[in-house]
Amino acid sequence: MTISLLGRAAVLVALAACAIGAVAGLYGGAKRSAAAEAWARAMAGLFFAATATAVGLMEFALLTHDFSVGYVAEVGSLKSPTWVTIVSLWSSLEGSILFWAFVLGVYAAGQALLTRKRFPQHSAWALGMTLLVGVFFCYLVAGVANPFTLVDPAPSDGPGPNPLLQNHVLMVIHPPALYLGYVGMTVPFAMGAAALLAGRITPAWSRALRNAMLVPWGFLTVGIILGGWWSYEVLGWGGYWAWDPVENASFLPWLTSTAFLHSAMLMERKDQLKGWTMTLLMSSFLLTILGTFMTRSGVFNSVHSFTQTPIGPVFLVFLTLMLLFSVLLLAARVDKLTPPQEGLSGPTSRDTWVLAQNLAFATFTFTVLLGTVWPLVNEALSNEQISVGEPYFNRWGVPLAGLIVFLMGVGPALPWGRATPGGVLKRLAAPAVALVLTAIGCLAAGLREPWPVLTFSVSAFALVVTLAEMVAPGVARWRARGESLPVAMVQATVRTRRRFGGYIVHLGVIAIAVGVAASSGWRDEHQLTLLEGETAVAGDFALTYLGAETVQESHRLSTLAKFDVKTVAGREVGQLAPRMNVYAKMPMNPLGDPAVHSSLAGDLYLTLVSVEAEAGAVSVEAIIEPLVGWIWIGGGIMALGTIVAGWPSRKRSRSQAAPTAEQAA
Amino acid sequence: MNWKVLLIGVVLVVPLVVVLALGFGHDPRALPTTMVDRPAPGFVLADMDTGEQVDLAALRGKPVVINFASSWCVPCAQEHPWLVRVARDYQPRGVVFLNVLYNDEPIKWQGFLARYGQSFPTLVDPGGRVAIDYGVAGVPETFVLDDQGNIVRKFTGPVVPDEFLPLLDGLL
Repeated sequence: MTISLLGRAAVLVALAACAIGAVAGLYGGAKRSAAAEAWARAMAGLFFAATATAVGLMEFALLTHDFSVGYVAEVGSLKSPTWVTIVSLWSSLEGSILFWAFVLGVYAAGQALLTRKRFPQHSAWALGMTLLVGVFFCYLVAGVANPFTLVDPAPSDGPGPNPLLQNHVLMVIHPPALYLGYVGMTVPFAMGAAALLAGRITPAWSRALRNAMLVPWGFLTVGIILGGWWSYEVLGWGGYWAWDPVENASFLPWLTSTAFLHSAMLMERKDQLKGWTMTLLMSSFLLTILGTFMTRSGVFNSVHSFTQTPIGPVFLVFLTLMLLFSVLLLAARVDKLTPPQEGLSGPTSRDTWVLAQNLAFATFTFTVLLGTVWPLVNEALSNEQISVGEPYFNRWGVPLAGLIVFLMGVGPALPWGRATPGGVLKRLAAPAVALVLTAIGCLAAGLREPWPVLTFSVSAFALVVTLAEMVAPGVARWRARGESLPVAMVQATVRTRRRFGGYIVHLGVIAIAVGVAASSGWRDEHQLTLLEGETAVAGDFALTYLGAETVQESHRLSTLAKFDVKTVAGREVGQLAPRMNVYAKMPMNPLGDPAVHSSLAGDLYLTLVSVEAEAGAVSVEAIIEPLVGWIWIGGGIMALGTIVAGWPSRKRSRSQAAPTAEQAA
Repeated sequence: MNWKVLLIGVVLVVPLVVVLALGFGHDPRALPTTMVDRPAPGFVLADMDTGEQVDLAALRGKPVVINFASSWCVPCAQEHPWLVRVARDYQPRGVVFLNVLYNDEPIKWQGFLARYGQSFPTLVDPGGRVAIDYGVAGVPETFVLDDQGNIVRKFTGPVVPDEFLPLLDGLL
């Protein structure tokens, strides 16, 4: 009772703070009013405090099992383990929208703090735009997706959250990472809109924009990889990516924001591609809204859209308004941005290849978007339901991804601006040799699948270029200054940290490319039916069925089938026990819980198909997936690189805050 | 105003929004089935226990529930005890319940019934011909027929109690 009231009050305070702050920010931007901007900042702080309070209250209600709160009655359960109860906050629509508003509160407060007194022409506009988006989400939490409804009389227990979401611990981090990515796109969007509203982009603002994009981009990357990992560990088909609408929804803004991070380099260095870069920036945000719409509207057929809700139409209105606003803003202001001083350099310059990379990413985005909405188009035109499956996406996606890895190799090897053909040949010679050697090596080893072999070769090319670029500044410094090699390396790396971080990210991409190519190219499936004590061979593994067992936990009933696993050569690998879980909430629909033996070389993946306890028989699917673990490792490397590149540098922020002081010193 | 940008933007945005808006009101999960609202395909199958021939046409005048199931199917095992109880309630009121064994051996199915209960007959479907006639893609699938022998509802996967019981009540 009290929590419902307090929570609702907190949400209304947040809504008011956003509304006042949005008006103050936009007014402050238009009129250059410092007082109005100060109001916007204060309101951003209040927005954060109010949403934090609301989330805190909801967690309290979940943990104390206060079933008088609507959302708790919907997803809570006395039987759920504590960790499931905590993460229930984002297991269903109302809670996740509340969480979304909270994350936006965190970002808004961070934006208010970090842009303070630094970007007089832009910061008020930008804050106003962020809070304007905040108004929409607070409105959702206060209205159609209110999690604080009062349930009277309160039930004594609830059903618990969706079983799929409590089947694995990754559910603790995957959704928040994705939300941090999605929601965080609001900040660069607002900053880009501010640049267009103000009619100019200063170099400092453009740098700040790129940093503001790095944060959500990093989270989005991690969120997507964890999502793949989660579906690999939980869904039991041994895959990690299915081109499902909701997966595509997270991939689309990733593509455009990745393109942005690269074209922004050209904008920053050469004052070029401003309109295009702004388009990518705004698209990234708009695609996150589209993605949320896909997840939550129930319009798309997806294994991930857990809810069909009344929120769809409201979201569509918001999406439409934002799309039209962005198009109008771009059209009205793009000519105001100062045109570049010089044109793009020729085909041997990095400029051109960044542009090529951008085109590849834009094509990829369009291809995925088209494939995702095509079933809707088709249904609208012919009233027939079709699904655009993996074949379409793979036909286009695999070559495009290969091309992108190749471009990732060529681009960094070339200098910005003009380059001599001789210099280019010299830089590309070693990686080209690596490419050819890898291709020959693959063919010699008997590998014939064209796409994996091509991916391996192109990855080798990119790997050599990336490693060379990573050590190049250190070597140059070592030669020029006579410092010892390690000192020169460390010094040069510290000084070019953003660039170095970028290359770490590229290494992660290479690891993922190799992992995807190998695990899809040489995936090896075995359907095994075994009696107790029998042994069967799958790939390099020998599996002995030891028997089945049933385990009762408070929230689920599990059947385990135990296998002793050895390599064919006889080395002990260990026991694997794939299970079948039956949750109280969905007694009719058991969920498989595969067992995986992972190593750097590859995984053995076991999914339980059926257990006949009386006959002592078991059917199991054993899948061998070479190098699949490198996808998750690559995701970790990408996250590390993002941190290295984006970690705030004390020196730089001081120099931006008070450039004169540093020049004087 | 840059009209070229505006035009490109509008050309991209408007169709997208229109397509998304048209998407409302469709249930993307609904499998189109041509079976519902049509006469159920007829069959004559042997009762597994008694060996008697059961002719669907002879059941005209009573609502019929046909449940395709197998012993190896886990959702069937979970649905079955509940179905057995419902059948005990509804058979005296005139509803006919039938299991059609799908892709299974009667001996295994007897073990299944011993474990999960039995209150209505099982029909053996040699070669799965009836399952093919009904377009069964997997088990369990349940067809509900009205007293005229028309299919009024098909459940793919376990029957949904909240829909199943009112449906039966409505047919009586």
